[in-house]
Amino acid sequence: MHEISLIRTVFNTLEAEFDAEELSRLQAVDLKVGLLSNVEPTLLQNAFAAVTQSEGKYETATLNIETVPVEVYCPVCDKNSPVKNYKFACSCGRPSSDVVSGTELLIHRIHFAEPAAVRST
Amino acid sequence: MQKIQRSSKAARGTVTCDNTTMHLLKANDFVAESIRKRMAEQNILLLNITSSAGSGKTTLLQETIKRIGDQANIKILVGDLETERDADRLRAVGGDALQIVTGGICHLEAQMVWQAMEGLNLDGVDLLIIENVGNLVCPASFDLGEDYRVTLIATTEGDDKPKKYPRMFLTSELMLVSKVDLLEYLPFSVDNVVADARDINPDIDVLELSTIKGTGVDAWCDWLLQKVAEKKEAAAVVAS
Ligand SMILES: Nc1nc2c(ncn2[C@@H]2O[C@H](COP(=O)(O)OP(=O)(O)O)[C@@H](O)[C@H]2O)c(=O)[nH]1
Ligand SMILES: [Mg+2]
Ligand SMILES: [Zn+2]
Repeated sequence: MHEISLIRTVFNTLEAEFDAEELSRLQAVDLKVGLLSNVEPTLLQNAFAAVTQSEGKYETATLNIETVPVEVYCPVCDKNSPVKNYKFACSCGRPSSDVVSGTELLIHRIHFAEPAAVRST
Repeated sequence: MQKIQRSSKAARGTVTCDNTTMHLLKANDFVAESIRKRMAEQNILLLNITSSAGSGKTTLLQETIKRIGDQANIKILVGDLETERDADRLRAVGGDALQIVTGGICHLEAQMVWQAMEGLNLDGVDLLIIENVGNLVCPASFDLGEDYRVTLIATTEGDDKPKKYPRMFLTSELMLVSKVDLLEYLPFSVDNVVADARDINPDIDVLELSTIKGTGVDAWCDWLLQKVAEKKEAAAVVAS
């Protein structure tokens, strides 16, 4: 799979949004990973460890992965139902491949420590 | 516009992100949209053909070129980890094929297709077919800007593929059950595979195929030519 390149994308995204001072206080990144994203959380954790070590950055930061179950939308019932046993259907029985969650692969939250000046007061 | 909900002060504490900007595949999806736009401008039907390695993609494309190469202007992009072999096979039957060597990457990304398109003369082309890298996992997540995604599943692979790789079947419009000439020797149920695929994607079309015996190849070619015609009709409606 492409876990290493996903972790590089996480860091590139952070570096585009935050400056070096902010990122020096990076504590944790929370990812949302849908069960349909074809990404294996363990492999992502391994890739995170490998990239932080080999690049010598963010070594004290942690990666938190929240897996998101698969849900489909039914227009008749106007509600979402979880997909069980690979049956993409509403609880009313109507088939639906309108997947409303489960394909996520995104940075959800980022945690920073307090800046030094604030911390000292 | 601020992409992340944050104040102008230095980031501290917990920052909650906007889901679309922080999507890890957004760069791919952005390029895929550019490809889709370009294909619409040039009236070219774009297909993304996926399967496990060895399900019969290249063999089918060879046969396709032989049968309808004179009825439609077809170009092919072939993704492979290391070799030029498949493009050579397609050229050997008169196909106009360009290899994308991914250098070990297990899927094609939209950026690779965009770059490869720079090396193609697309004037007058009706149909651009992408043969993806043989893998049902990663290619499922990467939109290449295609109109249709076609997935092959060979009778030699066992009939549990749809449930093992739901994302691929969810995102495909057509499933080709290939190598049906071997059905009598194998514990493979076409009915089970179709039922499983339709549990995931009720709208998926299915065609049984044996490229070697010729079963289903006409139906496949008809499907292709019909989709090419539909794309041109849609473009004519927009233009009028
Ligand atoms: N029995 C049988 N073998 C096939 C058929 N189509 C392809 N093959 C064989 O399957 C192998 C892999 O085919 P290929 O087209 O290279 O698969 P690809 O990796 O998906 O491009 C080759 O040895 C083909 O000769 C078919 O319809 N029936
Ligand atoms: Mg091939
Ligand atoms: Zn319902």
